[in-house]
Amino acid sequence: MKALVIVGHGSHLNEDSSLPVYEHAARIRERFGGEYDEVVECFWKEEPAMRHVLDTVEAEDVCVVPAFISEGYFTQQVIPRELGLAGPVTYKDGKAIRYAGPLGTFEGMADVILERADDLLRDKEVKPGRRALVLLGHGTDLNKSSGGVIYMNAERIKERGLYDLVEVGFLDQDPQIAEVVESVEAENVVLIPVFIAEGWHTRETIPEDLGLTGEVTRLANKTIFYGAPVGTHPSMAALIAARARETEQEIDTETQVARSTR
Amino acid sequence: MPEAPAKPSGLPDTPPNVAAASREAFAAWVDEEPQGRAFGQVLVRPVPLAGYHLCHIDDAGSVDLEIHDDPRAAREIAKLTGEGEYRPLKSSPNLRRGWALRLNGVPGLAVAMNYLYPAGIIHWYLHREGRLEITDYRENAARQSGIYKRIQRLSDEGVQDAARACCEDAVCLKKTLWNVDSGTPLEMDRGNGHIPCPEPCSIFVSFARRVRLFEREKKRDLDAAGLSPSEKEDLVALVETAASGAGKLDFAREAEFEKPLNERRLRYRRLTLIPKLHPAQAADNPNE
Ligand code: SF4
Repeated sequence: MKALVIVGHGSHLNEDSSLPVYEHAARIRERFGGEYDEVVECFWKEEPAMRHVLDTVEAEDVCVVPAFISEGYFTQQVIPRELGLAGPVTYKDGKAIRYAGPLGTFEGMADVILERADDLLRDKEVKPGRRALVLLGHGTDLNKSSGGVIYMNAERIKERGLYDLVEVGFLDQDPQIAEVVESVEAENVVLIPVFIAEGWHTRETIPEDLGLTGEVTRLANKTIFYGAPVGTHPSMAALIAARARETEQEIDTETQVARSTR
Repeated sequence: MPEAPAKPSGLPDTPPNVAAASREAFAAWVDEEPQGRAFGQVLVRPVPLAGYHLCHIDDAGSVDLEIHDDPRAAREIAKLTGEGEYRPLKSSPNLRRGWALRLNGVPGLAVAMNYLYPAGIIHWYLHREGRLEITDYRENAARQSGIYKRIQRLSDEGVQDAARACCEDAVCLKKTLWNVDSGTPLEMDRGNGHIPCPEPCSIFVSFARRVRLFEREKKRDLDAAGLSPSEKEDLVALVETAASGAGKLDFAREAEFEKPLNERRLRYRRLTLIPKLHPAQAADNPNE
């Protein structure tokens, strides 16, 4: 039997954080149900806790996908510790547990970001002029790769030539998002938070800091289109499933190489 | 479908499957009792030839319930209280009423139970089998990192008070099985329910962090009357709300331990502040 375990951060205060994990799990059961006997959710701050989730899984073949954007404290420290993982594959209690990397570095992420932007602009009046896509990351001084993932996706999107400009801004590190949005030289600015879930920042601090009035804010010299976080987009379900598939193949190839060179 | 990676030698080939065994054992335990079993606040009744009927224990006789056939509907049922508040701890005694789940088999029963009481039937089963691994507070604290690392410094007395304030049946229906450490048992009413708690949960860890902040503050900043700044903050908030709220206290949310009018926080004050304010009363009621 095969199981997919999706790990989310979760929250003690509201359902914003866990909701996308539950929704993506439901989509995977529906659309990729043939691949997995079980699709299970677990969290850091909610139940089921990571500590106990593997006992609830019946399958012996388990893939763990963290619903996190970047490599860092959670994916490298907290999740392996709480799940008792020893590396890319862990054998424990009769189970083989594969551990996938975070979602933000995965190839398909750029497509989900672009889909989110397309959905946002659909049915909206876009005035003539240059179009900029601005990716908003959390960023933090503690974790360099948190910003790196955002730049990586910006580069991938730039290569496709769909926008006149692709820029990057952060909440907690430079360049600050407010400055980026203000200085970007485009009449139409599409702002997409590269976050996993809605929360206090996406609902309150960001709109407040940037003076946004909703999905569309028309300023004197530009219009700002503000999208929902990329992590809540329905296509993230397919991304999670693809991430799991790729991890299984990678690890199987490594195992085979290791076996054949023995 | 890719083949599972080779197992290192030495692992048993047919390990006991806890998930499957607990599901079957739970169903058998329910089947033995035609009137149904209470598990947390859920009444689980066997329905011959049909499966299982689940509802809130206080709705046992109600006919006017919103019926669901999908076991995954249990997630929505468990999400908010009757008043619409988010429930971060599913074992809090605040499961909403008015619903029923009609499940046609054991797998569906396990899915629903796992949303109502995550990992509950697994822990119930392992405990019954004498195989539930217990992780005491000190061991759990030693593992913490980041902002929770400081719970390592919480005193034994602080752990005891935090557990009484956070884990008793009035606020959590699990039976607290862990201790401060192997030589220091918790001195509290551990609860009467069927759902064991093998390890401090994330709500407890967050509460312990707050209690540790209170502890530090006590040593540093007591005023002439012996009150700490946060104790005064709580007293002010209580007086203010009681005086202006026309009899309605507006409590903080369940896990908002940084706010004065949080139930667990005030339960902790009852244990630590009332004896200070009223030594005689505390001596009369050592457990209050
Ligand atoms: S640690 Fe306490 S509050 Fe948390 S689940 Fe266990 S008994 Fe309940």
